[in-house]
Amino acid sequence: MAESSGTDPTVDSNVVENAAKDRTMIVVTVKTPKDKEEIAILEDSSVAQFKEEISKRFNAKLDQLVLIFAGKILKDGDTLNQHGIKDGLTVHLVIKTAPKATSGSTSQNSASSSGTPQANSSSSASSPVPNASTPPGTGPAIQPPNLLSGFGDLSSLSGMGMGSANFMELQQQMQRQLMSNPEMLSQIMDNPLVQNMMSNPDLMRQMIVTNPQMQQLMERNPEISHMLNNPELMRQTMELARNPAMMQEMMRNQDRALSNLESIPGGYNALRRMYTDIQEPMFSAAREQFGNNPFSALGGNLDSGVQPSRTENREPLPNPWGPPGTAPSESRGTGSSTTTSSNGGTAPSVSSLPNPLGINASGLGNGVFSSPGMQSLMQQISENPQLMQNMLSAPYMRSMMQSLAQNPDLASQMQNPEALSVMTNPRAMQALMQIQQGLQTLQTEAPGLMPSLAPGGIPGIPSTTGGSVAPEGPPPPTQGSNPSADVSPSQQQQQLMQQMLQMFAGGVTTTQAVTPEVRFQQQLDQLSAMGFLNREANLQALIATGGDINAAIERLLGSQPS
Amino acid sequence: MVVVTLVTYRVKVPRNFRLLEELEEGQKGVGDGTVSWGLEDDEDIMLTRWTGMIIGPPRTIYENRMYSLKVECGPRYPESPPFVRFVTKINLNGVHNSNGVVDTRAVAALAKWQNSYSIRVVLQELRRLMMCKENMKLPQPPEGQVFSN
Repeated sequence: MAESSGTDPTVDSNVVENAAKDRTMIVVTVKTPKDKEEIAILEDSSVAQFKEEISKRFNAKLDQLVLIFAGKILKDGDTLNQHGIKDGLTVHLVIKTAPKATSGSTSQNSASSSGTPQANSSSSASSPVPNASTPPGTGPAIQPPNLLSGFGDLSSLSGMGMGSANFMELQQQMQRQLMSNPEMLSQIMDNPLVQNMMSNPDLMRQMIVTNPQMQQLMERNPEISHMLNNPELMRQTMELARNPAMMQEMMRNQDRALSNLESIPGGYNALRRMYTDIQEPMFSAAREQFGNNPFSALGGNLDSGVQPSRTENREPLPNPWGPPGTAPSESRGTGSSTTTSSNGGTAPSVSSLPNPLGINASGLGNGVFSSPGMQSLMQQISENPQLMQNMLSAPYMRSMMQSLAQNPDLASQMQNPEALSVMTNPRAMQALMQIQQGLQTLQTEAPGLMPSLAPGGIPGIPSTTGGSVAPEGPPPPTQGSNPSADVSPSQQQQQLMQQMLQMFAGGVTTTQAVTPEVRFQQQLDQLSAMGFLNREANLQALIATGGDINAAIERLLGSQPS
Repeated sequence: MVVVTLVTYRVKVPRNFRLLEELEEGQKGVGDGTVSWGLEDDEDIMLTRWTGMIIGPPRTIYENRMYSLKVECGPRYPESPPFVRFVTKINLNGVHNSNGVVDTRAVAALAKWQNSYSIRVVLQELRRLMMCKENMKLPQPPEGQVFSN
């Protein structure tokens, strides 16, 4: 009221104006099907003024703009107030770039020619339209919803994410289509264009990053963004996505890596926490948007980032009830370097666990894996990478690892996380024993039934390696060399079961029995072939070194006169 | 009382609550930006009459056109589906050529209406219909025409 009665009219009027501006400046979101911008404008401006701002921001001509709010088209003469457009609300924008031929060919030509130069600068939402619709005139060539067709159709490229956040709409549509049509997915994957794009990690990263759900996840979990920022990882991820066989391989490796975490005391809790914090949002996001591929690949990728497994692993799938135990040295390397490289390393690797558990025929441990213990372990690990390293370098680990390293078959059995969690849960163990008995019966009845099931021994293999995170508590260090330490008859039964199942599962000869002699049979043979004829001494040396042939040889040589 | 609560698994949201929610969503632009809806008259306390807008999907004959609709949410909404009518002239299967009324049986969302559906769902379904093979090439009346009713 009395503003102008002051000293300096200009200042006052400026103040008034500024104050007025501050009061009535609103931020309105303007949304096109492919783009979204926030525009600040005076509350009491007219639609025409609003369009001015929009035309600047979207690089479109005024007469190309059509604004829609609450189901009504906003006419230039209206005001924003009239339509109830307030701060924070969203107005829809349509940029008409190719009016129909019926509305005048001249205007069409001018629109399309003006549309083309603008296409480069503006969101290419408009660009596909002149390309696609101008030549055919009123009836634009109707293309099947095949993203790959139409070179001139930039919208398909944008659907590939060649742009950036501008193409959210197309991306969503593409994803929806992909989800509903698996053949399309394989078609797309085979397209060299896609493959080229996918070999560009920056592009893929951008594509992933602009997904709003991913952005949410990234905010919550910085590890994920670290992971995405590593071009090497991205590249490997994409290779994985292209190669389903490799992806399965990755997932198996990852299962093994996770078994490391299992074996660490208190590890389960960490695993569980990791699961709930990270797995669930990622998994639901993956389900919705990307399908399972990129995410599972991302998960598996982190292990592959450290493990050089380009070749397929012909070993049988890990034993779901396999001996718990410990991580072999290479997995340890994976585990610790994974966690040290990025905390999120193990996190996303959990995310794909439900996938392998589903896909993996030995997914009997499905529910078992998500046991609280394991998840909390992972959480702890993710929180403290140093913890992982410390634990893994503990002495008792070493002996277990050595024994594992020596016997690849044994190692494969022990790496299954499900096995470990089962071992720590006595009720689960009982249940498993029952299952095993059932399986035994099944085997006799229908031998061919079990090929994909990894042998179901909750075996006494823990006894052989001593790595049992069994109810007995942390494994004593020397148990590695004391194969038949464990006594319970059920375990021996389990060993038997396991052996039988293994035979069915593909005839891989794994550790056959409990006694060291049998266990080291292979090594003994090697030693005798090398000329160490003293079987007893060989055996002792092997036992002492836990099956390490080289070390055993040294022992043997050391005890002999040089 | 106890019996009643046992029978209904879901809380039945009162009509006005639902419609207010939809009003807010319409103003905030929930969805993918290809449809828009809002109250026809801001003073409409019963929140019955709504206007909708569908942006013609690309790569169809409806491309670049804006289709205006009237949606009427009766007293039994959301238990009963709304009445939908095109204002802008359109040639689309399921829409009467004379008055733009949308045939309830032709639109899946209306035929198998559920109370969890909303105006947005209906509009998006209509837009999807525009993208169907049988519709995407139908010759259309010139732009700017409205149904006479």
